[in-house]
Amino acid sequence: MRHILGLIIVLLFIIGFSLVLIVAGNYILPSHEIGMLAKYYLYLAYNPWQRNFTVMSPEAVTSIVWDFRGLDTVFETAVFYLAIIGSIALGRGIVKYIKPEEEELGLSLIVKTVTRISAVMIIAVAASIALHGHLTPGGGFQGGATAAVAPLLIIVIFSHYYLLEKGVTKDLMLFLRSLGLTGIAIVAIIVYLIALPQGIHAYVLQNQPKPDSSIGLPAYINGQLISGTLWFFNLFEFFAVMAGFTIVFLLITIPERAFRKEEEGEKQ
Amino acid sequence: MISLSTYLLTIIVTSMIMNLALALYGIFFKPHLTKKIIALTILGDTANTFAIIVGYRRWISPHSPSRPPVLVDYANINQEDLVNFVNTAVDPLPQALVLTAIVIGLAVTLFLVFLALQIYRLYGTLDVREIKRLRG
Amino acid sequence: MLTYEEIMLLITALASVFSVIAVYYAIIEKNLVRAVVFSAIQSTIYAFIYYMFMAPDIVLVYIPVAVGLYPAVILILISKTEKVEKQ
Repeated sequence: MRHILGLIIVLLFIIGFSLVLIVAGNYILPSHEIGMLAKYYLYLAYNPWQRNFTVMSPEAVTSIVWDFRGLDTVFETAVFYLAIIGSIALGRGIVKYIKPEEEELGLSLIVKTVTRISAVMIIAVAASIALHGHLTPGGGFQGGATAAVAPLLIIVIFSHYYLLEKGVTKDLMLFLRSLGLTGIAIVAIIVYLIALPQGIHAYVLQNQPKPDSSIGLPAYINGQLISGTLWFFNLFEFFAVMAGFTIVFLLITIPERAFRKEEEGEKQ
Repeated sequence: MISLSTYLLTIIVTSMIMNLALALYGIFFKPHLTKKIIALTILGDTANTFAIIVGYRRWISPHSPSRPPVLVDYANINQEDLVNFVNTAVDPLPQALVLTAIVIGLAVTLFLVFLALQIYRLYGTLDVREIKRLRG
Repeated sequence: MLTYEEIMLLITALASVFSVIAVYYAIIEKNLVRAVVFSAIQSTIYAFIYYMFMAPDIVLVYIPVAVGLYPAVILILISKTEKVEKQ
């Protein structure tokens, strides 16, 4: 009863305060116009008539994430990397895989069969989201987060040991994540590396040709739009995000009895 | 003259302010660490929603709706389509910032979950008041 | 007569008011499992709000993260620790 009363007070507060706030509405609410900078981003995202300024990607969000403000995203990836490293450091030393003998792990057979089918579909959809990130809504972050659902589903439905026996170990995921991060670092300077032997001026995180630098990755390959570096960035970010989350899920689902056994061993 | 859509937008903004206040209350005054983590995720999501609301664009006229910042028919585009797109699409910049913020928020939350689990392994409880008493 | 934009904003405003109810119960609830479920309901409503505000990218990243991974991870934490918040 007390909760219902509190809820009514909260809802009345919303209705009343919104009437007060409406006076200031013209200043805080979205209007019919957007900022000048946003208009430039939208105008230059895919613009074949401004070849020296465009990103050649019809997806404005991805072109901001990996081209216009690419350095921001590289540093955000570094923050992500450090958070995962912190989790791994906390989980260090407790990795003891003691599989219980003669015991059927996980849920029933029907659930397991459905999971077998849906996990493959989740991975396929995630790869599609990531690899079409420069054409349709999506990209490396979205695809990686979607793909990370599949290992967690398998861990919950089957068991922690099933994934390990299938070869999805912490070391493999660390390798995949390092591959993704190295790929991002290489793609960030690849235009510079191409331009260096030819004696042309180029920038870090450059994608398409710029007014004072006539070099860039091709936007079309065989008639397919890949938007230069964006496709590669999405691919590598997909691996980095998916593998990073999978490591943490593998560490967090270690059964508590493995930890307790080790603790008892230390005490003796 | 205040239009109906302005009032509805104000209700959305006020609801988000209320969610922010409730989440802050949960972070500060709830003693359980798991509840604090739940409140923290709500706080982060609400902050992201504010950024999305800032980036929204009202419809110019009832017959030309605002659209997502994705150019659909890019293969045979002409200048007029592009100008039309620029004049109706919503702001893509807050969306690009929120996109990375959500994924990093998840990574940081996973780190906090690990910390809470380690505290439980060492102290046997997640209640802040009891952890305080157990110290030393 | 309501225009299409007003109908869209009306639905979004209703959804945001429901999200306040979900957040209220998520904060107040003593049973942590139910609190996580209320938090997931709030996440679903937020995903709907993002969709209505023309942000398909955010919807694609928010649904797996906030509806799938957050509740799953916090449920794993709860299953390993305490289930009820003591008064």
